[in-house]
Amino acid sequence: MTHPRAHARLIKDRLLLPLAGVLLVLAAWEATVVAYQLPAIVLPSPWAVLRALGELVRTSAFWHDVGVSLYEFAVGYAFGTVLGIACGLVMGESRAFRQAATPVVESLRFVVPFAWIPLTILWFGTSVVGKIVLVAYAVFFVMIVSTARAIAQVDPTLTRVARMLGMTPARRAIAVHLRAAAPTIASAARAAAAIGWIAVVAAEYVGASAGLGLMITNAATSLATPVVIAGMVVIGLVGAGVSALIGILARKRLEAP
Amino acid sequence: MNAPAAAVAPHAASSPSGGELAVDGVHHHYIAALRRTDVLDDVSFVIPPGKVACVVGPSGCGKSTLLGLAAGLITPAAGTVRWDGEPVRAGANRHLGMAFQQPGLFPWMTVRQNVAIGLSTRGHPRAEARRIADEFLDTVGLADFKDAYPSHLSGGMAQRVGIARALALKPRLLLLDEPFAAVDAFTRLKLQQEFKQLLRLQRPTVLFVTHDVPEAIALGDMIVVMTQRPARVQRIIPVQREARDRATPAYARLLAEALECLGVTSDMDEEEDAQ
Repeated sequence: MTHPRAHARLIKDRLLLPLAGVLLVLAAWEATVVAYQLPAIVLPSPWAVLRALGELVRTSAFWHDVGVSLYEFAVGYAFGTVLGIACGLVMGESRAFRQAATPVVESLRFVVPFAWIPLTILWFGTSVVGKIVLVAYAVFFVMIVSTARAIAQVDPTLTRVARMLGMTPARRAIAVHLRAAAPTIASAARAAAAIGWIAVVAAEYVGASAGLGLMITNAATSLATPVVIAGMVVIGLVGAGVSALIGILARKRLEAP
Repeated sequence: MNAPAAAVAPHAASSPSGGELAVDGVHHHYIAALRRTDVLDDVSFVIPPGKVACVVGPSGCGKSTLLGLAAGLITPAAGTVRWDGEPVRAGANRHLGMAFQQPGLFPWMTVRQNVAIGLSTRGHPRAEARRIADEFLDTVGLADFKDAYPSHLSGGMAQRVGIARALALKPRLLLLDEPFAAVDAFTRLKLQQEFKQLLRLQRPTVLFVTHDVPEAIALGDMIVVMTQRPARVQRIIPVQREARDRATPAYARLLAEALECLGVTSDMDEEEDAQ
C-alpha cells in the first residue's frame, strides 16, 4: 500500500543513511590506522576487530560473559525500576513523603553509581550481587525522580474528575495518576536502561568474577587489543538492543492511541 | 457532530430530580506562604430543587471555591452549605455530577469507557455501565464515536463527552465550571442549546459558574452576581422565561442589569453623557 516514492524514502532514511554513518566512522578509523601506521596493539584495524569478534562469538566463554552481564543487568534493572516507580508514586502523591525524601534523593542521585564501586566490592566482593545492587541503585534514582515529576505534571483536571467520580485516593493514584504518567515513566525507563547497562560494565571493569567488563580487562592485560575493542563493540550493541527492546515494549503497551 | 442533542419534545419536562442547595453565610479563605487571602465573605443563596443558578463575577472572585464547597471538596471556614437540609460532607457524594472547563477525559480510554468509568466507580455492574454510557452518548449525538479515543475528538465533541459523563451518573446536583468556555463561539451556542434540552430530561439542581453573562441568561433560572474578592453576593437576578429570547427588550434589560452589576456600562450611556 505504500507509495513507491515514500517507500524509497523509507529505505533511504532507515537503511542507507544509517549505514553511511557507520561506514564513515569505519573509514575514518581505517584511515587513521593506515596514515599513522599504528601497530595492532595500539589500534587494530576494523578488520582485525571484526576477525576477533568472529572468533569470540564461537567460544562458549564469551556467551557466558554476555549472559552474566545481562543477568546482573536484568535483575538489578527490575528491582530498581519497580522500587523507583513505587517510591516515585508515593513521592508524587504524598506531600509529607515528598518533603522528607527530597533532600535524600536530591543529594544521593548525584553520587554516581561508580562512586559506590569500592564499597560494593567491600560488601559483596566480586559476586554478581554487588553488580545487581549497583544497577538497581543507578536505575532507582532515575526512576524515582522522573516518576515523581511525571505524577506532579498530570493534568489537574483528571484528578478533579477522579474525585468527582468518587475514586478513593489509592485508586486515583494508580488508575489515574500512574496511568496518565505512564508514557513519561516509560521513556525514563528506557533512559534508565542505558545508565544501568553502563553501571554493570563499569563495575565489572573494576572487580568481577565473570562478565563482559572482566573479559575486556583480561584481554587488555594480555595486550589483545582487537579483543578489547570487539568487547567494546559488543557492549554498545547489547546496550542499544536492550534500550530498543524496552522502547518497543513500552510503546506497545502505552502509546497514546 | 451535527446531530442535535436529543429528540426531546419541548414540553416533556420531568419533575425535578434535584434537591435544594443552600449556601448560608459562608466565609472562606486560603492560607498560602503564611499569607491569608479571603475569598468568600458572607455568601448566601438558595437554589430550589431542579433550578439552574448561574454564578457570574470577575476573575478570581472565588467561583471555583464555591463549586468546591458545594461538592464537599472544601469545608467552609465559617457558615454552612446544605444539600437537602443536611450539611455537605467531605468524601464521595453520590448525588454529585460535575463537568469542567477542560473535558478531562482519560486519554487512554475510549469515549465509551470514559463515560462508563464513572458509573462502574459508583458501583454499577460493567455491562450496565456500558449500556447507560451508550445511551447517553446517543443522546449527545456521539453514537459514531463510542470507540474513538479522546485525541481524535474536536474540542466541542470532547466537551460533550465530559457532560455526558457527568449526566450519565444521573446526578441530583450538577456542578459546572465554565464547561463551554474553551470552545469556539459557535460551538458554545450549540452546546448551550443541547445542554438546555438535556436538562429537561433529568432536572437536576445546577450550580453553573461562567464568565459569560449571555450564557447565564440563556441557561439560568437565576443569576448570582458576585463582587470582587473577597466576594459577596452583589445581586440575585431571577431570569424570566421571555428574557431568554435575545430579540426581546426583556433580554436587553436583563443583560444591561447584570453587566452593570459587574461594572460594565453600555457605550451609549457614555456618549449621551458626553453630549
